[in-house]
Amino acid sequence: MQKRFFLIVSCIFLLSIFLFFDLVGEWGRLTGGWGNLVIFFEESLWPPNWKVLEAQSYPICDSKLDIFCSVAWLGIVETLKIAFIATVFGFLISLPLSVLAASNLSPIYLALPSRILLAGMRSLPAIIWAVLFMIIFDVGALAGIFAMTFYTVGYLGKLQFESMEGIKNAPLEAAKATGMNRFETAWLVAIPESANNLLSHVLFMFEYNVRHGSVVGLVGAGGIGLYLNTYLKLAQYDKVVALLIIIFIVVVIIDFISMTLRSAVNEGGDVERPTWSSLFLPAAFTSSNHPTPMKKETIEESE
Amino acid sequence: MNEELAHLHEVSIGYVEPLVQDITIEIAAGDVIAILGPSGIGKTTLLRTIAGLVRPLSGDVELGVEPRGGLGYIPQRLGLVGNLSVRANVEMGARVRLSKWHLPFLPLPKDLNEEVTNCLESLGIDHLAEQPVRILSGGQQRRVATARSIAQAPKLLLADEFLGELDDDNVEIVMSAVQHVIDKQNSALVMVEHHEELARQVANRIWKIHDGRLIEED
Repeated sequence: MQKRFFLIVSCIFLLSIFLFFDLVGEWGRLTGGWGNLVIFFEESLWPPNWKVLEAQSYPICDSKLDIFCSVAWLGIVETLKIAFIATVFGFLISLPLSVLAASNLSPIYLALPSRILLAGMRSLPAIIWAVLFMIIFDVGALAGIFAMTFYTVGYLGKLQFESMEGIKNAPLEAAKATGMNRFETAWLVAIPESANNLLSHVLFMFEYNVRHGSVVGLVGAGGIGLYLNTYLKLAQYDKVVALLIIIFIVVVIIDFISMTLRSAVNEGGDVERPTWSSLFLPAAFTSSNHPTPMKKETIEESE
Repeated sequence: MNEELAHLHEVSIGYVEPLVQDITIEIAAGDVIAILGPSGIGKTTLLRTIAGLVRPLSGDVELGVEPRGGLGYIPQRLGLVGNLSVRANVEMGARVRLSKWHLPFLPLPKDLNEEVTNCLESLGIDHLAEQPVRILSGGQQRRVATARSIAQAPKLLLADEFLGELDDDNVEIVMSAVQHVIDKQNSALVMVEHHEELARQVANRIWKIHDGRLIEED
């Protein structure tokens, strides 16, 4: 059994090596690539140009602090706004759809079309949705909001209906036997029973949308990505690096907040309460230092 | 003759192979029926068949009560919503007494709210009303499940080992609350029970499953 497993794994690995060499083709054309990267890094990327944190010359800055009128601040705040709106709208739309898609809550004639709809919305990446909505709404945040909302519905809907399908059968049976209708069962049983997972997914989705907000911005759908795109076109790579560092810092902060909130709602947690070190260092360096501390309390019989 | 609440006619129950065959019985108002027998013999399946959760392999199950509000069911694993408070779980029972068009996020009418409070008090869990069910002990959860069914004021209550994990005092509290509903509503209780002695204390009819047949003791 072990030999056969080893043989299969080896074959898959060798196949991937073969495909890799097949795709690379001629190795000669890679000569000097590393040197080019070093030159590019030294001449164009480093040091980052922190002028992105200074106030723009136009429009005139009314704020006392220059940073509030800077490209970085305006861009990241718009990205956060887009991500927040898309997450809230996406959640509100995906929740009823996920109830319809859950096979333990809805009959197959409702579950199947709902799943197909969610899969359709998920199959196009947010960046493609952004391009489509830019045709309708022109360049700007509105296209970004719609693009991210559509993708959020598809992605969050799948996570949510899988959570609902994972709840215990006994509460559903009790509801069914006592004659509760589908809406009551979903509202009173399925949603509260899977609430921890639903909240965890929403927080994850917000974090995801912030990260991808910069990507959809690249095609003109608002947010910091719009500025990134402009600097890329103007070959101002040092400013691009500065914005990327700012995005990285914001994402790490949101990641930390999100993980803290998610670990609070996941009892016995599938999410480990994070430390700063766990965000930067590989798991092997940190996991033994902070085991998940969530514990169930039990109220003892008072009699 | 008491009002007939359910009638099973030549029913065979099971999932693929029949577990119990040729069941012809009736359940009347005022009955407290205990189903006895070893594990895996079909007691829970019989209860689930009466509850409409499993189709009988053959025969007819006729209910004389409306499932909505009329039929109470306490599954073996209780079927409580762990993230909701004790009160919210008990309210769920009271809610099925309302029309199905009453939206589930609207508050209960005042009289039903008072009945929920009475149920909590009668089961001795009013002090836990705002606690989430998941942090309660097994015995407390059983009392919550009972309170939820009582709040429903069912005509036919089906309970799967709901007296398990309860000490003598709590069995008395639970059975007194259930008996009160049976007397007030002129309803019936059918329960699956492992502890034969306990079952004989509380039931006025005993059904035993033996060799794939349901036999009623005289």
